Amino acid sequence: MMGYYLQLALRTLRRNIVLTSLIIAAIGVGIGAYMTVLTVLLAMSGDPIPEKSGQLFVPQIDLWGPNTRPKGAAGPVRLPDQMTYRDANALMLAHAAPRQVAMYSVQLDVSPLTGAPYSQQGRATYRDFFAMFQAPFKEGAAWSAKDETDRADVVVLGKTLAARLFAQRSAVGQTVSLEGRLYRVTGVLEAWSPMPHFYDVSNNPFGSGEQFFIPFTSAIGHEIDSNGNYSCASLPPPGWTGKLTGECIWLEFWAELPDAAAVRSYRQFLNNYSAEQQHLGRFHWPPLVQLSNVHQWLALEHIVPDEVRVNSLLAFGFLAVCLVNAVGLMLARFSSRASEFGVRRALGATRGDIFMQCLTETAVVGVLGGVLGLGLTALGLAANRASLGGELAEYTHRLTHLDPGVMALTVALAVGATLCSGLYPTWRATRVQPAWQLKAQ
Amino acid sequence: MLKMIHLSKVYRTEVVETYALRDFSIHVKEGEFVAVTGPSGSGKTTFLTIAGLLEEFTGGQYQLDGADVHGLNDNQRSRLRNQKIGFIFQSFNLIPDLNVFDNVDVPLRYRRLPGAERRKRINESLERVGLSARAKHYPAELSGGQQQRVAIARALAGGPRLLLADEPTGNLDSQMARSVMQLLEELHRDGATIVMVTHDPELAARAQREVRIVDGQVIDLAAQTRLVENPTSRPVV
Amino acid sequence: MEILPILVALRRNKVGAILVALQIALTLAVVANAMSIIQQHQSDMRRPSGLDEANILTLQNHWVGQPENLRASIDADLAAMRGTPGVVDAEATNSYPLLGGGWSWGIRLKPGPQTAPAAPTTLYMADTHGLDAMGLKLVGGRWFTSSEIGEWRANDEPGSPSTVLTAALAKKLFPAGNALGQVIYMINEAPVRIIGIVERAQTPWPAQGFGSSFAEFSTFLPFQFVNNGLNYIVRTKPGQVGSVMRALPERMNRVTRQRVMDRLQPFSETRTAAYRTQQATSWLLGTVCALLLAITGFGTVGLTMYWVGQRRRQIGLRRALGARRVDILRYFHTENLVIAGSGALLGVAGGLGANLWMATHLGTVRMSPVYILIGAVAVLVLTQLAVIWPAYRAASIAPSLATRGL
Repeated sequence: MMGYYLQLALRTLRRNIVLTSLIIAAIGVGIGAYMTVLTVLLAMSGDPIPEKSGQLFVPQIDLWGPNTRPKGAAGPVRLPDQMTYRDANALMLAHAAPRQVAMYSVQLDVSPLTGAPYSQQGRATYRDFFAMFQAPFKEGAAWSAKDETDRADVVVLGKTLAARLFAQRSAVGQTVSLEGRLYRVTGVLEAWSPMPHFYDVSNNPFGSGEQFFIPFTSAIGHEIDSNGNYSCASLPPPGWTGKLTGECIWLEFWAELPDAAAVRSYRQFLNNYSAEQQHLGRFHWPPLVQLSNVHQWLALEHIVPDEVRVNSLLAFGFLAVCLVNAVGLMLARFSSRASEFGVRRALGATRGDIFMQCLTETAVVGVLGGVLGLGLTALGLAANRASLGGELAEYTHRLTHLDPGVMALTVALAVGATLCSGLYPTWRATRVQPAWQLKAQ
Repeated sequence: MLKMIHLSKVYRTEVVETYALRDFSIHVKEGEFVAVTGPSGSGKTTFLTIAGLLEEFTGGQYQLDGADVHGLNDNQRSRLRNQKIGFIFQSFNLIPDLNVFDNVDVPLRYRRLPGAERRKRINESLERVGLSARAKHYPAELSGGQQQRVAIARALAGGPRLLLADEPTGNLDSQMARSVMQLLEELHRDGATIVMVTHDPELAARAQREVRIVDGQVIDLAAQTRLVENPTSRPVV
Repeated sequence: MEILPILVALRRNKVGAILVALQIALTLAVVANAMSIIQQHQSDMRRPSGLDEANILTLQNHWVGQPENLRASIDADLAAMRGTPGVVDAEATNSYPLLGGGWSWGIRLKPGPQTAPAAPTTLYMADTHGLDAMGLKLVGGRWFTSSEIGEWRANDEPGSPSTVLTAALAKKLFPAGNALGQVIYMINEAPVRIIGIVERAQTPWPAQGFGSSFAEFSTFLPFQFVNNGLNYIVRTKPGQVGSVMRALPERMNRVTRQRVMDRLQPFSETRTAAYRTQQATSWLLGTVCALLLAITGFGTVGLTMYWVGQRRRQIGLRRALGARRVDILRYFHTENLVIAGSGALLGVAGGLGANLWMATHLGTVRMSPVYILIGAVAVLVLTQLAVIWPAYRAASIAPSLATRGL
């Protein structure tokens, strides 16, 4: 029977090409616009590290006091979203978590063997970073623990930089000149750029990733300045020592806590640490700490700009109008065929038969609308990418490349939406009383 | 074949009650060709729609091919209709989007017959009405008489026990009307049971016998036929 | 009037009317909100930065390794730039309007580290050439003199006895308008005197959410920015930006090649980059609006025509019973007014409600009711126009044809 209904559907669509095209157009345009916006929203609010997002945590300590926060604000407390060197270092030394990193963003000049020097984004971090955030290695590995304690000049390169410097050769064991110093390469990563750049959202959540990683201890030893945010509630002492001893925040800190027990004990540890700092006279307000996993962190930091949410709402309104339009058109279509349905009923079709026939037609229209919607989504994303440019283009770029998941979602959404719109017209069609139709002749 | 006993059909609105059929009884035996006649609004169309299981009735009994149709739900009625009854309408009611072959195909599809079986029956039906050559044409390309013959082919294809015709020649000119009536007579000679509703007395005369309806009730004209089982009914002259 | 029978007739044929009204309501709500957002973005984007934008180019610079005498290197660069033909002036600084990155601080009116700031601001380091290099307009007091200019190196505290503010900031701190000569407190407890006021200079972040509440609050401090990693601002004579941009790299490399120069671009590109997201959103929403209006326009027209077609018999009957053409027209226009009117009402309520919700939860700007009311009127006019053709055709049907029923 389904084959019959499909045959009928295709035939009817062909014979009423104008009306059918209008319905398909209405659905396609609505889906296209909505999927364009939804894709951006999904990309920005996606889980960047699904396997571990429940195990990676950001601790925050109330270093600046309630006076620096807006009074009477609702929702979670906005504590400083980075750490001072003092606290980050203390937490690293305390080893309260099985894996932990303190790190900061750096920008250094690479001096290749031939050609002019150029600057690159990098990160000063601990070796646990790679395991914690699942950075995949193409060759080699992270530096050793001894390298870390020795403050050795070693580096892990990103795929692009390694290719630029060493072409096809193996980079492990080679040296790279950064800021005039020679660093030994211990490993090269595969292309890796989690979206959003969740481990450092305060600086550049949607930017391209870093191309080199050096040990934190080594960077501090060379007094390499941070390239990221640097915020102070009060003036630090001058000079590099000021950076290390002052109350300015400029470091990111992450801890890996594998289960609920670990989380509890870490929270306890944080509370103790905070209370201890208060006793030491560092601050005078009640100690307050916060521990957030990846999801909570992204929400706290408002990763998805409200603008994108607004766009999604408006695009949904647009889709709704298109669907209402489609309902009207489908009603018109089915009512003009009331006599056909009456005849079929007279010849022995049950209400269910008529329902399935109309539903099949609707589904076919839905699929066609979905295909059109897919094309329009690709167009929309390309236009969006072209107009956005810069860093935001990077992540939409991923999705304009025929991601099968998005494609499936688009068509499914189109078919689903069309079926919903078609429910009422289809139901109306089954209500045709064969007797009336024939009498009215 | 078709037996109605004290059938009534009432249309009720908030203020008024209309009896389309009142105490209506009729018995059509297998192989008979019966004409049902009467003035406009007499209820003959209502009789036809109830006979064709297109509508429910309010009171009385209706037996089709020996089986009582009381209490059947919509799906069951549809199935019964599909198997036992062939319709021929005044305005042909062919589906304009489909060609002749596919039009005749429609009732067979709802019977869920396999493809080969359907094709066989369709070809036989079209052969019977003399339109095999036009199988691929669309209704719009045929004359009125041809369209009605396609409709008859459609009615026959399922091998129905009963043919119900509603003014089969109403929309045809006299020549085409004659050829359609000839076809119906042929079918009758070959053993079909036909009930034809018409207001044309000439047409009615070509049937085997005539049943006249006025105001929803049967008026017995032909003396040679026993109309009802219940002897309390009163013939009206 | 004729409204009651129309309403009764509509109640029996609810669905079509509901569909049209719903379409109108949704379109109104979405388009009004979208246009409000577009208007907000566009007006934001039109705000002047305060710089002489047409004649300014910028570049980022840092030296490879650590130059022995950073100050001398900077001075050499500045001399080279200022000596380039076509250049009016140049300066080295930490940040400038629309850059996207910079320093922010809070200004206090009274000393004491625990005093709450009276206003947030951004800090721009500037030397005596700053005024001409950026093309700022002084509207009160004076700019810095060379004796006032200090040196600021990494990790120093940028405290200074004098400062120049933007007019908006001055007004915020001293609403009475007497900011000149007053004393404020910034980085530390030392008083800072306001010696000059410039008309306008935006913060580096007027486009993004971060700085939007203080987009016009900028502070200039008299320092030569001495850092390996700084921004150069170059102001050229009118029409010379292109030629200076071409000449500059060679001149700079003649001073030394041990450097990396990035993002040598005219200010127009800085502006484009700063507002890129806003522009993209404007385009997206604009497209959605246009499409929406088209769809609803056609949809409404189509549906209306269809309905009128469905009721030909009725119309013919009325005509046969004595209705004039104008009666038929009036019937349809009134019916359409009822439907479109309810849709418009629903749309206004829905649009304002949605806007309120978005303003509370998503930080959009509150829409002025004028927009949506204009939209409602436009919709009513549009749908009335859409009814004219089908209604006229319907009214022109010869009554006999209609009653014959096809």
